Formats: sequence, structure tokens, C-alpha cells
Amino acid sequence: MSCTFLPPCACPLAPANLPAPKIPRTRPSFPCRLSMEKQQLIRGSKLMEFPYLTDPHRDTMVDLISAMENRLGSHHLLPSSVPPDVEHYQNENGTSQGTLHIRCGIDSSPIDFVLASWLHLEQPTGGALDITNIAGYLKSSTDVPHFQFELVKCSPTFLILFLDLIPRKDTVFSPDYLKTYYEDTQLEKFRQRLDQLPEVQPYFSSSLYFRRVVSPTGIVVSIKCEDGAGPERVEEIIREHVRPISNDIMRIWIDMCVGEGVEVGETERAVLEKRDSLIKSKAIEMDLSSSMPKQFGQEVADRVLRVIKSVYNV
Amino acid sequence: MAVRLTLPVIFFSSHFSPSSSRSRSKTFSSSASSSQMELNNEFGVTKFKEFPYLSAPHRNLMVDLVSTVENRLGSQLLPCSLPPDVQYYQNQTGSAHASLHTRSGNKPSHSQIDFILGSWIHCELPTGGALNITSLSAFLNPLTDAPNFLIELIQSSPTSLILILDLPPRKDLVLCPDYLHTFYEETQLDTRKQILEKIPEVKPYISSSLYIRSLVSPTAIMVRIETEASQPGRVEEVIKDHVDPIAKEVLGIWLDQCACGKREVGEAERAILEKRDGLIKIKTIEVDLGSNFPRLFGPEVADRILGAMRDVFTV
Repeated sequence: MSCTFLPPCACPLAPANLPAPKIPRTRPSFPCRLSMEKQQLIRGSKLMEFPYLTDPHRDTMVDLISAMENRLGSHHLLPSSVPPDVEHYQNENGTSQGTLHIRCGIDSSPIDFVLASWLHLEQPTGGALDITNIAGYLKSSTDVPHFQFELVKCSPTFLILFLDLIPRKDTVFSPDYLKTYYEDTQLEKFRQRLDQLPEVQPYFSSSLYFRRVVSPTGIVVSIKCEDGAGPERVEEIIREHVRPISNDIMRIWIDMCVGEGVEVGETERAVLEKRDSLIKSKAIEMDLSSSMPKQFGQEVADRVLRVIKSVYNV
Repeated sequence: MAVRLTLPVIFFSSHFSPSSSRSRSKTFSSSASSSQMELNNEFGVTKFKEFPYLSAPHRNLMVDLVSTVENRLGSQLLPCSLPPDVQYYQNQTGSAHASLHTRSGNKPSHSQIDFILGSWIHCELPTGGALNITSLSAFLNPLTDAPNFLIELIQSSPTSLILILDLPPRKDLVLCPDYLHTFYEETQLDTRKQILEKIPEVKPYISSSLYIRSLVSPTAIMVRIETEASQPGRVEEVIKDHVDPIAKEVLGIWLDQCACGKREVGEAERAILEKRDGLIKIKTIEVDLGSNFPRLFGPEVADRILGAMRDVFTV
């Protein structure tokens, strides 16, 4: 689902008040009885089909999910914890469809959960909004940044990309954190590479909070190809740039996750928890709570949000 | 598309807290009468407020901003106490001049101001033409947690100007959404940013320093104004018609809400503020002065300035 911003092409949405029953946080309360076969099924499921996307866009998503599953897989992640009617859902007339795939981290893993999803939202004006999202959140036992990838296709010639390692600390207060995770990793060169393309412009979210959540090397851009060769050029950009850059950043992030962690002390852990909780609840509040009921109807929205809120622990 | 300055980053200027300024001026004047001291000081201040080598709109903007701050804060600010050869200095060949002006807050009168700092640099470029950098920044002390103020204009050619205008936050905005709401949403700072960004010659500017990117707020105006050679005077026009009014509005917001506003700051919070403020000062010196000074002024002058700064101010 969309992270913390509303693309300009999305329908203007009014805030909603969704009372969500809070499910106590242990492991998800829905049964995880997945066998190897079922896991294979998920691989071939609606999620990985990524209908409605161009090939390069789909390839990018498949690459990223495969990287997570292959490298983090059974050492770090439990099988998917999402009930079938939330794994794939739609509104009454099928004009809005979504899939959700979540794998929680095992107890000993620093990973809290990883998430992959897509949304296909037909617009009243014709055309459709396609939102693809991959996220990886860490526990408060580590200060490794969270991973966030989101590629929104507003039209065949206009996309918005958000790709970032979200800082867990105030980088002003912790210049060492900035150096370790953002300077030494040379993330800046990826941002610059995209920045140099004439079709790429910085994108300013209307949410100030979101702007602040993003790291100093965060990629938050629009990709716009106005002229005749528009859609092909967009595909080329995704194939030549977005896909390899996303893979590189995912690789860097997974290296951080599986590498030698820094021991996080008690007081630090409390601050990390508080901060993470704010980031997660803001993400849901700004992005999903208001839009989901409108897109999917109250019943479906409640069902999906309950799962998300339980995993996000907000 | 972000384009980068050939010179490193921003001349953020030195951010020091002149707590021992009075004792320093005593040492300096041991061999001079106090009236001589005042004359030297006056000379320094005059030199600073000249803002030479700039276009009229650019100079007027800086002069207006400095006088607005000084008039509004009045007796909350102590007089500038920098030695004259730090208030105004140049390199050996005279191809680079600069001026520094600091005024610290009047602690006994419970001023919330730590200090204000203004500066300009003029540097002739080997290619012909010149680099002009002007800045004004204001730092608040832990009696308040309100944001600081910063404006910096970097003109590297007649058709290219970088503008930074911001209220840099003093707290972690992710952890404190209320603070974000009070100082950045309710003040509608983003509207001003959007107005400026609609002008065709205005493009986003992304600092090459990740630390500077972290420092500025989500509503920071960080832009490059790029005009055509076929339109001489357009930069000056943009400064006069757009930058000037917006800068004054933002300064007004800062004076009303931050410098003169009242905030509740608890003990524990105060300690964190002090630590964070201190880090910012150290880092901006590192980023800003460390690389620029020796290059522009030669190591001898650079050492003198940096030495004077480190002696006089606590960092």
C-alpha cells in the first residue's frame, strides 16, 4: 500500500475515522499453517503476477521480492501471515483491487516484517492508478534503517518513485549514524544518477512529516515523459535505471540487516520504539485510513487495515 | 534537476556562541584606549553593513534583514565584540575580502537569543567575474526550543544565484509531530516556498553535504535561480520582486513565533537542546569553514580567523 504521500493524480480523499480493533502483538493471530507447497503457491500467486504493469515495472518488483525471499528467507522470516481474503481483495464491482503479502521476522531476527503489495485503482476519469510497494521494517533491537520502495504509475507517461532507507535516528543529533548508513554506503550516487535524467524531477509531498521521514539521500521523484515516445521512454528508464538502482539499494539494505549489528542499549531502544511507532502510525493514518474505505468500501477496508495495523503494531 | 556548486557547499558561516566575548575585548584593548576600540568596532560594523560588490536589490535585502533583526531585538543583543581584523579581513593579494558580524544575546535580561551572525564574502574568480556570498543566521538558546533562522545567498555569476532560506528545527521532527505542526504547518511556510518555486527560473538546489540536508526543515527554500544571458538583470529582478518579500515574511514569522515567542522547556529537554545545538555548531564549522577558508584566504588568514573564533567562542 502507499506509504506516506498522496500522488497528485490520486482522488482527493477526506480523512475517515476508522475504529480498528487492536489485536495484541505476539505473532499474528491468524494461523500460519503454510507448507512448502503453499509457499510455492504464493510465489505464483496474484502478488507475483503483477497484472496491469509494464514488463520492466513488474521485473523490478519481482527482483526485489525475490532478493528478500532468497537472502532473508527461512533464516529470518516466518511464512506469510495474511489470510486469503486479505492476500487478495477487491471492491464490489472489481474496479479496485489489491494484494498484500507480509512475512514477519522470527524472534531472533532483527527484522520486524517485510511487506509487498500492489493496488490497481480504476479512475473515474478513465485510466488507472497502479501502486506497488515493498517495505522492510526493523525491530528496536537494531538501528538499521527501514527499507521503503514505492513506484506509482499515474499514467503510462507519469510515474512517482519513492526509494529510501528510512533513518531510525535524528541524523542531526547522530552524525555517526549518517556516516555509517548513508555516507559510507555511497547511496548518494544512486540519487544523483536518477537526478541527472531530464525526465526526472524532485517530488515534494504535501505532507511535511513525510518529507522529514525521508533520508538525506532519499529518492523521491517524478518521472515524466511528455512527448511522443513517452511510454517507451518511461519503460526504458525503469529498465535501465530504476530496476538496477533499486536492486543495488535492496542489496545494501539486506547486507545491513544480516551483518554484524550494533548493540542497542535500553534507553536507545525505547527511543527507537517511540520513533518507529510514530513513523508507522503516521504512515497508516495519512495514507490508508482515509483512502481504503473510499476505494474498497468499509468492510473490505476494515478487514485489510486490521491485518496491517496488527503487523505494524499501532 | 539539481546542479552542484563548484565550490563546496554553502558558506554557512561560523556559528559560535560568544560567551566570553567581554573578557576577550578586554584583552584586546589592553594596549588601546576604549575610544580607539569603539572606533575600530565602528569601522568593522560599517564595513559589514556596506555589503559591497552586490547588486542593489541584493544589498538592500541584506541591509533590511539585518536592521529588522537588530531593531526588533534591540537591547536583547550585545554589541559586536569581534576584533577588527576578524570583522573585516582579506587575503594577501586582495582578491578576496570578507566581513563577519556577531552579536550575542544579553543573558542577564533572559534573552532567548544565543547569538546572531552575519557575513559576506567577495572573491574574484580566476575565470574573471566574482563569487559573492552573504548570510544572516540567528541561533536561539535552550531557554526556548523554537527553530533558528538562516538565509544565505550565493551568487557565482550574473545569471546564477543559490538561495537558502529556512527556520532550521532544533528538535527531531519525526519524534515531535506537534513541533512540526506548530512551527511549520500553522505558519504556512510551505506556501511561501511554493510561490517561489513556481517562478520559471527557480529550480531546486540540493546541497552536496548530507548533514546540511538533514539540518534544514521540510519547508526549507533551497533553490537555484538560473537566468538566460539574453536577459541581463533578471536575477536582480527576481531578488527584488520575489526573494525580498518572501525573505522578509519568513524573518517576520521567525521573530514573532520563535525569537519572541514563549515556549515551555523542561530540564531534561534543555540538556538535549544544548547537546544538539552544540553538535550543529561544530558540524557546520567543519562543513563550512574547514574547506572554504584556506582555499579562499590562504592558510595564514584562515588560521587567524579560525583561531580567533575558537578562542572567543565556546563550541
